[in-house]
Amino acid sequence: MLTRLKGGHVVDPANNRNGVGDVFVSDGVVVDAPTDAKAPDETIDCTGLVVMAGAIDIHSHIAGGHVNTARLLLPEWHRAFSARPGETALSKVGWTTEETGLRYAEMGFTMVVEPAMAPSSALHAHLELADTPIIDKATLVVLGNDDLMMSMIRDGESETAIADYVAWTVAASRALGVKCINAGGSAAFKENVRKFDFDDVVPDYGVSSRQIVKTLQKAVTGLGIPHPLHVHCNNLGVPGAASDSIAATIRAAEGDPLHLAHIQFYGYGDEGKRRFSSRAQALADLVNATPEVTVDIGQVMFGQTVTISSDELRQFAGSKQASPKKSVIFDHEANGGGVVPMDYKARSFFNALQWAIGLELFLLIEDPSRVFFTTDHPNGAPFTAYPDVFALLMDRGVRAKWLDALPSSVKKMTQLPELEREYTLEEIAVMTRAAPARLLGTPDRGHLGAGAGADIAVYRPNDDKAAMFGKAAYVLKDGVVVVKDGTVVRRTLGRAVTLRPEPDKAMKTRLDRYFDERYGVSSRWFEVPEGALRRDDPFEVVPCRA
Amino acid sequence: MTGMTFLKTQEPEERLDLSALVPARLKGLSSAEIARIAIGTSRRGVVVGDVFAVSGDDPSVLRFAGGSPRFDRIGEAMAGGEITVEGDAGARLGRMLKAGRITVTGSAGMHAGSAMEGGVLRIGGDAGDFLGGPLAGETMGLKGGTIVVGGRAGERAGDRMRRGVICVAGEAGDGLGSRMIAGTIVVGRRAAGTPGRMMKRGTLILCGGAERFAPTFVDNGPADILILKVMASAFAQGEVGEVPFDGAPMRRLGGDTAVLGLGEIFLPL
Repeated sequence: MLTRLKGGHVVDPANNRNGVGDVFVSDGVVVDAPTDAKAPDETIDCTGLVVMAGAIDIHSHIAGGHVNTARLLLPEWHRAFSARPGETALSKVGWTTEETGLRYAEMGFTMVVEPAMAPSSALHAHLELADTPIIDKATLVVLGNDDLMMSMIRDGESETAIADYVAWTVAASRALGVKCINAGGSAAFKENVRKFDFDDVVPDYGVSSRQIVKTLQKAVTGLGIPHPLHVHCNNLGVPGAASDSIAATIRAAEGDPLHLAHIQFYGYGDEGKRRFSSRAQALADLVNATPEVTVDIGQVMFGQTVTISSDELRQFAGSKQASPKKSVIFDHEANGGGVVPMDYKARSFFNALQWAIGLELFLLIEDPSRVFFTTDHPNGAPFTAYPDVFALLMDRGVRAKWLDALPSSVKKMTQLPELEREYTLEEIAVMTRAAPARLLGTPDRGHLGAGAGADIAVYRPNDDKAAMFGKAAYVLKDGVVVVKDGTVVRRTLGRAVTLRPEPDKAMKTRLDRYFDERYGVSSRWFEVPEGALRRDDPFEVVPCRA
Repeated sequence: MTGMTFLKTQEPEERLDLSALVPARLKGLSSAEIARIAIGTSRRGVVVGDVFAVSGDDPSVLRFAGGSPRFDRIGEAMAGGEITVEGDAGARLGRMLKAGRITVTGSAGMHAGSAMEGGVLRIGGDAGDFLGGPLAGETMGLKGGTIVVGGRAGERAGDRMRRGVICVAGEAGDGLGSRMIAGTIVVGRRAAGTPGRMMKRGTLILCGGAERFAPTFVDNGPADILILKVMASAFAQGEVGEVPFDGAPMRRLGGDTAVLGLGEIFLPL
């Protein structure tokens, strides 16, 4: 069946297209315009509309043990037996896998990456993802605070052995990449360490955060995993120490690819009478000068949300600021983690400056293919706040209006009012489509060239960018129209995109023994078998780089 | 007669959500408009006119002539005015009440006075479980105001209570004052189970004694203290009315030492 999206303004920077034209779709794939006069079976009139590839969110916590704990901690936000309060952004998320899929699709997103899957909760995460409709999914598996990795580094094991362990973990947990969260910090936390810098050493293991990050980076690069090591740096949110940590980590990239997550939380200095200031300029300059790194922002937006993180040390410190006053801290193997509800207030100097720092970074980092659009859902804001973030990036007037509502003390501490840059549609398409597909190593996504998967978002242009990106006019997933005028019309099921590196057989034997001796469980406990998801074709395997 | 009366014309076939029938929401509405307010909780779409005959025109004083254990959420978040129920009330009676007065002649269901912030709630008969308590996930129960119960209270009355007074003339069910943060609860007859478990601060005056106490409570011996007399007379002159203690010495327990341990329980000597 041939479908023609007719006469839309096609914005496809990956193929240098930015103008009025047609897009043809056949059997779920974008195809070239047919040369014969064959009439399309279906024509979607896109005259006056903007046609883009489906958007990709590279960092959004939508599945796994910690997300579920947040649901349990905050039952008052998803009461089945009473209408949800309409006023909080989080209530629109609805918390269920079902609504996660539908709400993302309505905004034109067709792929979302859960960035923090503990190896021990891989099956749980994939079961939740399999239950999330329409969108495609992927996961990053967390390593770096686990006993085996740190022991291998301490014992000076070979790069090959470590790479084999990483390969086994990625393959067993069906991940698309590797993340490391406060490398060594969570392990040190268990020895009563409460502050952990990039060159600090984990007690008992004698390895530093730097060693862990460098070792993992080398393993990921060596295995040809397309997505660079995804790093959540030390000292998240600590004024002064945060920006020092991220600067040290960026310098440690040393020419090899590295991705830094939610850098807004690291753009904090300790100047000013409240000992809290913006270091966005310095951080953006460093990112601009270091071409091998990519970053995502983790924009803060105002309103009630909940922070979900495997950075146990950070969440323990942050639990004192919980609002409402309740939180959960896990102290379990490897990373542990914490769930702390947070209410970002526009009238709070600190929260308002966090908001401004995120936008400063978005606007000061020059290359839209190296800065990614995230709120670190739900840590900075729930993903339902995305339309407002698009409006803030694309419209100075909107920024000025938001700034007016902030405390005057904040305006003195940010250069945001002077920043004139407005993201163009093409830059938005690079940041949310072309670049994420390249970063994740999924070449048939993020563009509309022949051979690409027919994941397409069509928007109705509007001066109000929030309205434009909040409700897509049409969304096609694998060539099927799933959203019309911002409402889901067809509920399809996407797949989880994974790698399948082949680990060495000897590593498998060694891990069988290790898990049996240390934990008394079989290593199969960590594996996600295809049959467990009770679906035909739950996975799409993409290759590692040769 | 002044006020507005909702005469029950038939027993409802489903639970009703009466949270819309509070003075602030009814002000300025004609009786035809009031009769069209949706109160059903099922697909049937029950409206006020299906269950009640409405008369009167001053919505600041409401009277339900005839109650039902299916009348849920009466007086929810009311910020002033008066509601009287002649009969029983369902769940969440007077939840989040801010000011005003609610009187029920019969019994009330679960979560009566839940997270109430002020005002007076009087229940002539028995109260269900979680009297003044929070709903799941909320961090505070009763935050202010007065609850007076003529009969017995169900389990976990005063759960996570933060401030205010609860006075129960009859018995109290298991877990009275559990996780209490502060405030005062007076019980006329025996309290079942282990009252005050995990209480941080606050005062329980158990005039009929208790079944037993958690081992984390410490016996402080007899307390001949003036405050009991002051409280008894203050209650008698205020909204609570006569209380079943008079200022005579009582035995004092401190706890719950499993948490902060600043709470106290008074028992007859």
